[in-house]
Amino acid sequence: MLQGTLDLMILKTLEAMGPQHGFGIARRIEQVSEEVLQLNEGTVYTSLLRLLQQGWIASDWGTSENNRKAKFYSITKSGRKQLARETEDWERISGVIGRLLSLEGRS
Amino acid sequence: MPEREFDDEMREHLRLLTERFVRQGMSPEDAAIAARRQFGNVTKLEEDRHELQTVRWAETLWRDVRFGARQLRRTPLFTITAVLSLALGIGANTAVFTLLDQLVLRLLPVAQPERLVMIWTTGPHFGNNIGPRFASYPMYQDFERKSEAFEAVFCRVEIPASLTADGNTERIRAELVSGNFFQALRVGAAVGRVFSPESDDRIFEGHPSVVLSHRYWMNRFGGDPGVVGKKLLVNSYPMEIVGVSAAGFAGVDPASTPDLRVPMLMAPVMTPHRDDLTRRRSQWVQMFARLKPGFTMERARASLQPLLHQVLEQELEEPALRRLKPADRERFLRRTALVETAATGYSGMRQQYATALTVLMSMAGLILLIACSNVASLLTARGAERQKEMAVRLAIGASRTTLVRQLLVESLLLSLGGTALGLTLAVEETRGLLGMLPGASNLMLRAVPDQRILLFSIGVALLTGLLFGVAPAVQATKPDLVNTLKDVVGSVAGGRGSTRLRKVLVTAQVALSFLLLMGAGLFARTLANLKNARTGFEGADNLVSFQIDPGKTGYSAGRTRNFYSDALREIRGLPGVQSAAYAMWPLLNGQEWDLTIAVEGHTAGQDDMQVYYNLVSPGFWRTMGIRMLEGRDFDDRDRVDGGDDPQPWNVAIVNREFAEHFFPGQNAVGRHVGCCHGIATKTSIRIVGVVENSLFAGPRAGVRRQVFLPYLESSTPAAVTFYTRGTVSTTAMFPALRGVIAKLDQNLPVYDWKTLAGQLDETLSTERLIALLSAVFGLLATVLAAMGLYGVLASLVARRTREIGLRVALGAPRRWVLWVVMREVLLLLGGGLLVGVPAAYGLSRYISSQLFGVNPSDGTTGVAAIVLLTAVALAAGFVPARRASALDPIAALRYE
Repeated sequence: MLQGTLDLMILKTLEAMGPQHGFGIARRIEQVSEEVLQLNEGTVYTSLLRLLQQGWIASDWGTSENNRKAKFYSITKSGRKQLARETEDWERISGVIGRLLSLEGRS
Repeated sequence: MPEREFDDEMREHLRLLTERFVRQGMSPEDAAIAARRQFGNVTKLEEDRHELQTVRWAETLWRDVRFGARQLRRTPLFTITAVLSLALGIGANTAVFTLLDQLVLRLLPVAQPERLVMIWTTGPHFGNNIGPRFASYPMYQDFERKSEAFEAVFCRVEIPASLTADGNTERIRAELVSGNFFQALRVGAAVGRVFSPESDDRIFEGHPSVVLSHRYWMNRFGGDPGVVGKKLLVNSYPMEIVGVSAAGFAGVDPASTPDLRVPMLMAPVMTPHRDDLTRRRSQWVQMFARLKPGFTMERARASLQPLLHQVLEQELEEPALRRLKPADRERFLRRTALVETAATGYSGMRQQYATALTVLMSMAGLILLIACSNVASLLTARGAERQKEMAVRLAIGASRTTLVRQLLVESLLLSLGGTALGLTLAVEETRGLLGMLPGASNLMLRAVPDQRILLFSIGVALLTGLLFGVAPAVQATKPDLVNTLKDVVGSVAGGRGSTRLRKVLVTAQVALSFLLLMGAGLFARTLANLKNARTGFEGADNLVSFQIDPGKTGYSAGRTRNFYSDALREIRGLPGVQSAAYAMWPLLNGQEWDLTIAVEGHTAGQDDMQVYYNLVSPGFWRTMGIRMLEGRDFDDRDRVDGGDDPQPWNVAIVNREFAEHFFPGQNAVGRHVGCCHGIATKTSIRIVGVVENSLFAGPRAGVRRQVFLPYLESSTPAAVTFYTRGTVSTTAMFPALRGVIAKLDQNLPVYDWKTLAGQLDETLSTERLIALLSAVFGLLATVLAAMGLYGVLASLVARRTREIGLRVALGAPRRWVLWVVMREVLLLLGGGLLVGVPAAYGLSRYISSQLFGVNPSDGTTGVAAIVLLTAVALAAGFVPARRASALDPIAALRYE
């Protein structure tokens, strides 16, 4: 998986679903990717740490569905901005690559 | 984020995954494996995480450092001033600490040095004593055999000796040590063996063995392991080198390394014709011990006291003390045993310099404080200039912590820069300091800082960085955004708060400077008083002295006497020599010898019967320029060849102090005294003359009650110092004198060439060291304080430019402007003195032991310090005041 792609996916997940714990994030990504992406779920935590350090997400203690203490991550204001920027970048680049690939297909 | 939280989280994740697989129908084992596969390599994850955290920390630091350096580069004048101030302060501290550490603080390089103690006794001893903390050898033996508190009690004494090896005779520093010396200290051999109680402590005069010190072995024998088994002549007595002590071990005196060590039982060879090993009335060895496990110093001391009492009662039965009066017996039995830690060894030099170095260290600390407050003041001003920048950065979301952190990094950069420069200064400064200690070249003291010193300096740097950095950083980032952005935008000088802080700092500087100037003044006057003290000698510049010690190269007592007489005759015959004489104890060099004396008709029970004595040749008074008050000088009539008569003396000369004490209002000539075997000696020595008072050990010790005996009646071949008074310049006399001795005995080492004036300078080295350094420190402090004062006033004037311009435009006279600024100077100065003067008063008693002939709260010195400080402060304040009064009102109103 591309470096940074996972970060983007986590940010998007948190934006869409509100505060989540690590396991929940992994489930959501698994569900969305429909097993197209093979994810080592541990890397989610490395990614979370990176995002915390950038100040794009925040963490807080809460109680999980099965009544265990768990850490919940939520997206911050600057995280939303970052997500917007990266989404834009992503769309631009994927658009360019998509066009490029379809060009290739024609020739 | 704490590592553990993450670990818990991941473990929980794995558990949930496993549960999920079990629900999907896997066996628990398979589920665990599948979960782990899906989660990925935990170790790898941990590594990634660790890297992420470390790199981030380092990156932040590096960014701050680069940012700080850039900020400092932008204001070179500020940076240079700050770094220089700190370098001066840190350099002074490091230099003084280097000496303090090596002389006072360092533990001996032996196993468990904290278990080592020194033992000595106090109270009247009614016998001979060669200095502080000495004991008799029999008493040492009693303690070694009977005390329960120690693994071992050992003793030592340093003694100069002459060593003949490969046909060369040289004077060396030997140390007599008890056989258990090395074992008790747990010091081994580099080559061969060291002494042991079994093989080197059995037979009186029967262990002609030598252990070389590692340093002497390297210097003299080039570290040749073949020297073991080699024969040497020590004081013309054949001895064998049995080994070399371990590298790095200097001895129990950190300031002095003996060249070689000889077993204590060889004392008769090392101190020719003096049999002190069995004499209880002669204190000449220093006692040390290693505590048994479980014994504290206090317990050890308590256990020694009854033992001492028992020994003293036995001693009272000896002939020398049997006739003691009851009051004296009382006092004798009240002697106490003292125990002190010897973890850092014991050093006479340390005793001499420790207080001085502590005083200097405190002064250096004050300098550093002044330098710190200067930098703090500069930083505050700088903070005020950057207030707008800070406000803007705070407003756009930088956290205050970040800003304070960056400012502190800047401070630390400054202090580290100051330290780097200060260390370079310190090496030179320490060399200078060592140059001021006489005989420092023989010592184990180094000028180049080692690891400990580096650590000390870096510690000081970090401390100072925080000390001067925190307050300005906090002040500069005070989040008063609205006002700052509204009011101060475009202003140069900053708000009220920063000026108040700077004023407090300047007041502190003035106070500290006063302390240092006051100290400098007191020490300078002490040195002057000591140098100008009446010595009683005339023309000390024209008196040349040297020492010889023929007893150490095998001369008998009779041959020594003849040699000295021949040498005197030859020297007196030299052209340009007016007179010459010799004395057993050199004058003004800090040494003195006291012993108990019996005085005819004197029944003093409580009286102090200790007198200071010396053996001198005929012509001594004429040579030293001391007036004979009554009676006659010694002459050849007083010469005896009585062989080994233990009590040979027939005549004595006393000084005025003695005569007035024991025979007030009477003629002392013709009276009798008894000497050298305690208070009960029969008084058979006739006083033949009384001389004017003169100094013995030095000006600080003052005039002593002295008794002089004719050396010609001595039955021991002691070393003597020759004094020659000449009409030709002193340096021209050295070769001729050397020629005389060489003609009489080619192989006799001659040492300690100096003039009496030079000797006095050496003795006053501590005082000179303090006086000079404190003067330097005092001036440094004043300059730093002046800088601080100037800085504050300059920014004050800058801040009030507009106001001053307005007032001048409205007709205020220039004098008024000048007065407004100078009033500020006087207020700051007055505030500083208000703190400084009482502080100096309170602190002065700590230095009173270092003073001489001047009161610690001396008014004149205080006034002089105030005058100097005021002059400097007014000068520093006058520059900005002039600038303010010369302001063009139009320009001032347009200002900003």
